Amino acid sequence: MVGVFGKSVTIMYNHVLRNILAPSKEVATNTFRYTSFYNKLSAEDIWRGVTSVSNAGKKRGRGKGSGKRVAKDLNRGQTIGVGSRNFVWPGLNAPIVRGKTLIQQERLSEVNNMDRNINKIRDLMGTYRIAKVNSIDRGWSGAKMPGRSIGPPDAINEEMFENFDTRVLENKIVFIMKGNMGRKRRYSVLSITGNKKGLAGFAVAKAPEVRTALRKSKNRAAQKVIKIELCDNHTVFHDFSCAFGKTRIFVQRKPEGYGLICHRAIETICKVIGIRNLHAKIEGSTNLQHIVKALFLGLLQQKTHEEISRKTNLHVIEFRNETGLHPHIISKPESCKASKDPLSKEVSDYTQYVLDDQISLKKRKFAPFYIDSKGYNLFLKRKEQVRNQQKVRVNMNAFDNDLQSV
Amino acid sequence: MFLRQIYNYANLRASFHALQRAASSTGNTGTASATLLYNRDPQPRFTDPETQKLLQSMTQLQLEKIFQKTTVPDNSVDYKLMTMDMLEDEFRKSIERAKNRLQMPPVVQMKKDERRIISNDSALSGFSDTKYVITDITYGLRQTERKVVVRQTDGTLEHAPMEITKRMHQLYFPLTGRSIRTPRMFADEHLQRCLDEQKYLFILNRMVVQFDPFEPEFHTISSRVYQHINETKQFDILRSTRHFGPMTFFFAWHRCIDDLLYDMVRRDYLQNAAELIALLYKLHDMEPNYKNILKQIDEIKPKEDLALKELEKALKRASSDVKEDIQSAIGKTQVDFELDDLCLPFIEDYISKHALKKVQLELATQTIKEINAEKRQLFEGISKAHGVA
Repeated sequence: MVGVFGKSVTIMYNHVLRNILAPSKEVATNTFRYTSFYNKLSAEDIWRGVTSVSNAGKKRGRGKGSGKRVAKDLNRGQTIGVGSRNFVWPGLNAPIVRGKTLIQQERLSEVNNMDRNINKIRDLMGTYRIAKVNSIDRGWSGAKMPGRSIGPPDAINEEMFENFDTRVLENKIVFIMKGNMGRKRRYSVLSITGNKKGLAGFAVAKAPEVRTALRKSKNRAAQKVIKIELCDNHTVFHDFSCAFGKTRIFVQRKPEGYGLICHRAIETICKVIGIRNLHAKIEGSTNLQHIVKALFLGLLQQKTHEEISRKTNLHVIEFRNETGLHPHIISKPESCKASKDPLSKEVSDYTQYVLDDQISLKKRKFAPFYIDSKGYNLFLKRKEQVRNQQKVRVNMNAFDNDLQSV
Repeated sequence: MFLRQIYNYANLRASFHALQRAASSTGNTGTASATLLYNRDPQPRFTDPETQKLLQSMTQLQLEKIFQKTTVPDNSVDYKLMTMDMLEDEFRKSIERAKNRLQMPPVVQMKKDERRIISNDSALSGFSDTKYVITDITYGLRQTERKVVVRQTDGTLEHAPMEITKRMHQLYFPLTGRSIRTPRMFADEHLQRCLDEQKYLFILNRMVVQFDPFEPEFHTISSRVYQHINETKQFDILRSTRHFGPMTFFFAWHRCIDDLLYDMVRRDYLQNAAELIALLYKLHDMEPNYKNILKQIDEIKPKEDLALKELEKALKRASSDVKEDIQSAIGKTQVDFELDDLCLPFIEDYISKHALKKVQLELATQTIKEINAEKRQLFEGISKAHGVA
């Protein structure tokens, strides 16, 4: 019994021992492949593979976003013989013989900041940032060109374009097919230049490079400058509607202080021309080139006050609310119409006359959907109680300098 | 703004009528202080047609001043096409509006607050901790007809004092621009700052809205403003506004017209200067001969259409008439020279007899005399050269 017991104990012991020493697992032999792209390709190729995008990918616009990886040049900031350990290597970073003594290889005790400096240089390499543009100088959207200023046009024969400013309106890639080159890509830039005093011109130019296209467009616009009459130096003469292609713009004259309430392209154009107050609504296509052309057509076809009085033989009289509606004679005809004649229908109304008898359809504004809802009425009821609170507050502050009644 | 003023005028006139009745019963209310106040009822003298005519003439109607640019909520511009006739009509309307804007706030006596008890019901004594104010808010009543009474805690029923009456009126029938509590700009220190900044028009315009002409504040504030103007000699700020007449009246009443006279002479408003002296004589019954000169001025002055004149000016017509060319070049007409001849002796007479600042005024008269003589010579020379009689 003892023997049996002793034997079984021995077997168990051996089993445990074996398991501890070498776990009961199938022994796997690792196979190594000694060839890979690391030793087949050159460093340059490997880096290109990691940091760039394939040609096919490039065409689809890949590798442009924030995750773009940039290859770091690890050699930058390194010099042979200088490392983290401060050593004198004769013949490498020190002369071999100084005077008549042979210089020995030697470790210097001073600590240098070699590692830190190199890391700093490498960190800078990875994080490239676009220089911050002042919010005023920014364009319509993000870091895109449209809406941004590209400065005055270049001088032509010492004819300086002083006080001129050019703004990009459109910057896009266009393709054409070439016999030998196939699909050829170019940048097309539409820009407008003006002096904010009624002189302005616009032009489209194409070039393989953005910068060239911008320059070409700017200088071409300078050659096409035309004079646009401004009313009171701040707005248009009258309401008008103008069209080019499928684009139609309805422009309204507005008083000082109104601002430019219109499409961003029209806003930019107006600013460059020198118009500060106007309301414009585009109907139809918002194609940028069409907008520019339509607006320029409209501005050029305006009737000035002198023209109107010359053509109608009537006085043009201005009534300003701010001067108590006192009649102010803007322009008088050579010979006024006989006063007894009743005014013909077409010239009796100024607005009708300047719009060439056309009437712009004013669509009725519908009341918002919630106007009849129970909740809105409740809200109005609740608001009624506190409707004068703000005024009371202001009054209390003004008289007692305190929000308590005395 | 305009409508508001008109409304305000209506209101002022209403209270003014009430005052006429009240004024006959009250005596002198003048107080001896730094601010000059009317010691008698100035209203009969002020509303006198002759005085009004003088004041209006001195105020002058300068359209550029009356319709000068102001801040408005809607500054839109309207254009119209017009024939000459329509334009003339438009100018006539505009001149009417200008005259409306120049309507003077009345100068009346200060009203005294008196306690007027209706009934003494001692049985009601202690009926409440607070007094009750009862206001008649019947629609369509004039503010002056509106009864405001107070039931005191001791049971007395009496007419409310002026201050409570005004507050109740403003509470139930608010006047645009008037606030229930007196604006802080009329407090002494703030008013002084406004005066130092020479915002005379601002003060006077707001005062006219905030106070009725019979209120003591109206008198003290306006007096302070006028006296300040007299010190700074900025009379031109008020010229061609509705406050110029009351200001001139104030100076004439208190016999301190010399600075204003000097200003008028220096600016070559000799007719106005003569009118100012006439007003002084009239108010104080000094020299009866002023009536003659006023009559003569009236005779010489042609009855011209103001609207047409302004229209001509606006059109700036290159007129074919040589006569008008000469006039516009020199800035004076034959009539103006005749008027000057008439007014100057009258002014000099005043200076020698009554003026306090004699030297200064004599110097100014002499200068203007020389300038006008030169102008006249030039005028006659050119007229002769062109063969115009």
